Amino acid sequence: MKHAIEVRGLVKSFGEVRALDGVTLAAAPGTVLGVLGPNGAGKTTAVRVLSTLTSPDAGTARVLGHDVAAEARKVRERIGLTGQYAGLDPNLSGEQNLVLIARLLGASRRQARQRAHELIERFDLAHAATRAAAKYSGGMRRRLDLAASIVRRPEVLFLDEPTTGLDPQSRGGLWEIVRELVAEGTTVLLTTQYLEEADQLAHAIAVIDHGRVIASGTPSELKQTVGGLVLRLSPTRPEAAEQLVQLAEWAAGASARREDGAVVVPVAHAGEAQAVMARIGQAGVDLAGFGLHEPTLDEVFLSLTGHRTETDHQQKTKELTA
Amino acid sequence: MTALASTGPRPTTTWNTTRGPLGQSASMAARSLASIKHYPAQLVEFFMIPLMILLSITFFMGGQMMGSWQDFLQYAGPTIIAMGLFFAITSTGMGLYGDIKEGVFDRLTAMPVSRFALLAGRVAADMVKHAWALLVVGAVAFAIGYRAEGGAAGTAAAAGALLLFLFAVSWTMALVGLTAKSEEQIQTWMISLLMPLAYTSTIFVEKDTLPGPVQWWAQVNPMTALADTMRMFLGGGSPGAETLALLAWCAAILAVFVPLSLRAYRRKLTN
Ligand SMILES: Nc1ncnc2c1ncn2[C@@H]1O[C@H](COP(=O)(O)OP(=O)(O)O)[C@@H](O)[C@H]1O
Ligand SMILES: [Mg+2]
Repeated sequence: MKHAIEVRGLVKSFGEVRALDGVTLAAAPGTVLGVLGPNGAGKTTAVRVLSTLTSPDAGTARVLGHDVAAEARKVRERIGLTGQYAGLDPNLSGEQNLVLIARLLGASRRQARQRAHELIERFDLAHAATRAAAKYSGGMRRRLDLAASIVRRPEVLFLDEPTTGLDPQSRGGLWEIVRELVAEGTTVLLTTQYLEEADQLAHAIAVIDHGRVIASGTPSELKQTVGGLVLRLSPTRPEAAEQLVQLAEWAAGASARREDGAVVVPVAHAGEAQAVMARIGQAGVDLAGFGLHEPTLDEVFLSLTGHRTETDHQQKTKELTA
Repeated sequence: MTALASTGPRPTTTWNTTRGPLGQSASMAARSLASIKHYPAQLVEFFMIPLMILLSITFFMGGQMMGSWQDFLQYAGPTIIAMGLFFAITSTGMGLYGDIKEGVFDRLTAMPVSRFALLAGRVAADMVKHAWALLVVGAVAFAIGYRAEGGAAGTAAAAGALLLFLFAVSWTMALVGLTAKSEEQIQTWMISLLMPLAYTSTIFVEKDTLPGPVQWWAQVNPMTALADTMRMFLGGGSPGAETLALLAWCAAILAVFVPLSLRAYRRKLTN
């Protein structure tokens, strides 16, 4: 088996909305596939189809060689799912949640309790093991949710926006766990809205927008397409912006754009930014400020699609009409 | 976070306790009942409605209807308890309505777990609640003077008949809960299903007092079968046609509503 996850031409519509419009994806066994996209891109729908919760209208999806529609039962035997919203029973304690799942999966009472304890230790929840899940903090709930999805050590794990809404520390903790699972040989499909998260965890990334894959490759391939870093220059005099665009494009060898009075240009690495700055210095253009940062999802989208992510776009339109 | 040193091959888990749909239903039922531990007041809520229905009808209407409330209790007490318990079957609909909105059912559905168990667990948990309510309200009826000629065995058999019927009709509420657009709908369905059935049966009145065309219906009405079966057992009689009719009705309701509920559940989750 070459791919643990193999998706071809997947289509799923909800009435008028084409949530998936011909999605093709693949993940090699033991790797992390990052599915990167803004709100409404179709990430959750893709995860639901792959975890047998939603049936596709067209196309095929195979997990570990099993067709998700025709062999749903076999797929369920071997996967774990952490959905976008916590898949926990709020009335049960953390421990009871894990025991319930282990029991449903065929563990004896003793085995179930033992596995629950193991996971509670591993996920740093011992202090809250007997507290109702409803009373957990966001980060704790996320950890318990992830623990619940690996009770029987799935071969393929689906994580739908596992760190959205978490503070940086909790996010780092979750990344650690995902890395451990991958080190043990688990194949992971993870959706995210954060380029940094995909960059940190994924071996391969697929960028999706409006239910279509608009770019895919390794994180470094993807960054090459969009520029590894983004240099932002603010001229002292607004009239100098046009000259800055020309200088920056010439020095960076990429197309620059103007944004809110500043000039933004993608650069491959810090050295290239330095070269751009040197060229500007030679030309004698005064800068009020400048900054070098990783491209945001929005910037990735802008360079891939020429439009901003939907939410931003809508906000901009609202501002204009207001 | 406890760092895991293992970077070797994926550890495997071999669990092979053979727990079919029934074992899984039991786990799910225990899960539905767990909330009692966090909110023990529920234990009282389960029997409040049937208890208040029994007491208010007996004390405020019983005397007018039959001369003395004691006679009324002796005649109508058991079926009024049954009526009170019917109101509680909405909890199956409400419970499943809430369950499928919660993320936990997504997780359970993506697991190799019997779909029947996911629904039956809720129904089974509700049966435990109904049995508890029946026990409490039955004890109150006994305390204020109700006596069954059939004794303990007859009382137990009548209770069994009532619980069996509640089990069957709970599946109609399961279907309602899985297809309802709002919680109010579930309540509406329960009332519009049960009230006409109850008033055209021998739950409250004897068949001969009903108008002509209704009499034919009262004869086949499942609640008539229930009421007659309960009276038969409580009166110390032996099972006959009414018991067969009750069993047939329960089997028919289950044969229709269990598959429909399962289908509704699949549809709901693969919309
Ligand atoms: N059950 C549903 N009914 C109707 N529309 C839906 C449903 N699920 C998703 N959609 C629509 O499909 C599109 C993709 O949604 P989703 O897969 O949730 O995206 P994401 O997870 O990337 O935010 C959105 O436009 C969303 O409104
Ligand atoms: Mg989503």
